[in-house]
Amino acid sequence: MVDAQTSWHPIAAADDLPLRHVFHGQLLGRELAVWRADDNFVNVWENRCLHRGVRLSIGTNNGMELTCRYHGWRYSNRSAGCTYIPAHPADAPARTISNRTFPAVERYGLVWSGETPEGDVPTVGVLEEGSPFTLRSLPVNASAEVTFDELRFHTFQPCGAHDHTNATPIISIDQLDDRSIVLTSTSDDLRSTVVFFVQPVDAGRSVIRPVLSHTPDQHEQIVIWRHHALMLASTVARAERVFADQPDPPPMVAAIDEVPVDLRTLPDPSTNRQAPLRVQVSRKWSTATGVAAFELTSIGAPLPAFQPGAHIDVHLSKGLIRQYSLTNGPGETAHYRIGVKLEPDSRGGSELMHQSVREGDVLAISEPRNNFPLRRDSLKTILIAGGIGVTPLLAMAQALHSMDLEFELHYFAQSEDHLAFGEVRDLVAASVTTHLALSPSQTAAAIEEIVRSPQPTHQLYVCGPGPMLESTRTIAARAGWADESIHFEYFKNTTRRDDSSTFEIALARSATTLQVPSGTSILQVLRANDVALPSSCEQGACGTCVVSVIDGDIDHQDVHLNETERAAGDQIMTCVSRATSPRLVLDL
Amino acid sequence: MITLYDYELSANCYKQRLLMSLLDIAYESIPVDFFPGLEHKSEAFKKINPMGHIPVIDDDGFVLWDAHAILVYLAAKYDPSNRWYPTSNPELLGETASWLLFAEGTTNTASAARLFVNLGYDFDIDACRAGAHRLFRQLDEHLWFREREGRDWVCSAPHPTIADVALFPDVILSEEGGVSRLDYPALRRWTERVKALDGFATMPGIFPLGTS
Repeated sequence: MVDAQTSWHPIAAADDLPLRHVFHGQLLGRELAVWRADDNFVNVWENRCLHRGVRLSIGTNNGMELTCRYHGWRYSNRSAGCTYIPAHPADAPARTISNRTFPAVERYGLVWSGETPEGDVPTVGVLEEGSPFTLRSLPVNASAEVTFDELRFHTFQPCGAHDHTNATPIISIDQLDDRSIVLTSTSDDLRSTVVFFVQPVDAGRSVIRPVLSHTPDQHEQIVIWRHHALMLASTVARAERVFADQPDPPPMVAAIDEVPVDLRTLPDPSTNRQAPLRVQVSRKWSTATGVAAFELTSIGAPLPAFQPGAHIDVHLSKGLIRQYSLTNGPGETAHYRIGVKLEPDSRGGSELMHQSVREGDVLAISEPRNNFPLRRDSLKTILIAGGIGVTPLLAMAQALHSMDLEFELHYFAQSEDHLAFGEVRDLVAASVTTHLALSPSQTAAAIEEIVRSPQPTHQLYVCGPGPMLESTRTIAARAGWADESIHFEYFKNTTRRDDSSTFEIALARSATTLQVPSGTSILQVLRANDVALPSSCEQGACGTCVVSVIDGDIDHQDVHLNETERAAGDQIMTCVSRATSPRLVLDL
Repeated sequence: MITLYDYELSANCYKQRLLMSLLDIAYESIPVDFFPGLEHKSEAFKKINPMGHIPVIDDDGFVLWDAHAILVYLAAKYDPSNRWYPTSNPELLGETASWLLFAEGTTNTASAARLFVNLGYDFDIDACRAGAHRLFRQLDEHLWFREREGRDWVCSAPHPTIADVALFPDVILSEEGGVSRLDYPALRRWTERVKALDGFATMPGIFPLGTS
């Protein structure tokens, strides 16, 4: 007796998963939402939204993501990570919001999955040697055991003899295990072999999934399908009669898993610039003058979910850590794709990426973080990119495009040859405007034109070099854009920073007071005292190390917070910002 | 102008609203307090339909009741393409009639189970559900073979007929009556094809196709 929990089972026919459909399945008492993404990946998920438990099988498959019917939570192809929560449009969903997934393998025209299947999907000799032809599956109101027992008495005519209803074929049986059986029907000189797999749906239901060992000629197929459907119907009826006379078996209850360890544990406080993921450079190419593109493919586990605007830290030799935005579209989860511009005054990072990193190399990277989340509740979104700043905006453009939301992407670059990721831009071509070879004053004039008529229902996202961001900030403010409608992402913080002050920080929740000497950041002091805090760029650009401030005056030295956020005085970028008051009370 | 004596939550009234929406026929809906008022059993209403049930239409003085009969009338009269009720194609017309009879079965089982659950009707619920599953199993097999023949609809035509309109509400609302469609994948795919039709209309309990 094999353990059903650790076995592979067929759960659907491959053609039960047509384009943009969500199949409603069940295995061992657990309901499943099964859907095929446009990249042909088959997703097998627990059939309930993490939010309100609504069945995802009534959700919408847009080829990249599955959206719940109830409140529109979106879950990504492959990872099942939540990418967007409409009720919280300004926030990036937490990494922990990730649906339970089950493995999927397509074989013999069937989709195989299991609770915790061990090893590979079992191979069946007659199907490996033949040309498998999937027959129609039949649901049975009987346990898998009863159904399987009745299949021993199943009979059918070999192909070519389906009109010989009076002839009695000889059936030989070869049992593979307690849920699959091979029956060979012989009549005169005709012979056909069918493998029957039994899917345990729940305690009182099962599905017979038959596969003929050889694909018949096209013109015979309908007749053969019909013959097997007819013959199986009487076996199904027999199994249902036998089962109805038996006492009811105990129900199968699918265990609801605890949150996986990697989602529920806190990061190690000793180092918060972790690179838990190992990826292989599966492709490296030049996508524009001075810009190298990298496709990073997971080694082992699937890559964690990401949202448009997210970046990863890439850990390079010599202790260099660099942030690169993901350019991926929604559901494009087989790899991460980044673009790296060779900086003439490179401090080593972009030079290493350009010159030393090759296809096949393994890189250590962080999980994606999103400090540049995209709202999807605006009537129109304006994306303004300067040079390599196009990368997070390309991800946003694809997400907006997939949801049919109105947007424009303005891409400023030195020349046609400096435009990166043409193949991605082509996907959203109708909404892209390029602005080439403009002087700073011409750029300012063009931006002025773009942001000319601010609307409370519009949002502006800007990513590019510092001076362009600063001038856009000024122009947009002058045009009347509210701070909360404009979102900036800086590559780096080029402002001159002053770390000469000394002050003390009080950690309100920990009832601890620490001294911050000059020349040392709040983040460094916290780290030295084993306080866990994530960080990424460590120069006040990315926003990862933000902490809430309860009391005290902040000396903002970052470029992440906007004027309104600075004036509110309730958050601080601990990697660069300091205090002007002698004491700062932090919500830690 | 067509008047429909209508109850928003009735699957049979929805069949008329769906067809008129698909055919782009203008009509006026007169709400009947089917539940809890039992207005369709009132003397006043029996002057309109002596049988005391809905839907009923009044097309400029021509009064007709019985859900599937109204579908026949509306399609025969108002569908210039002659596809929904193909009076000029005897074979297809026969098929359509056959599936309309089948739809009487789904109404008396799947939709009856829904009345039991939602409105407390006194039916043998186990018999209703078992009957619905028996018919859904047949319909699922039928539609599976249709897909193999390259056909999307209940009848053998390359376009839907009123048979699809008659069956769709009983099928799509079945879960309200406790009849799951989990075992019927071809039936589930067909409901999505119906939802994708131009002019498709929803009712409470029926989602439109998702877009993005």
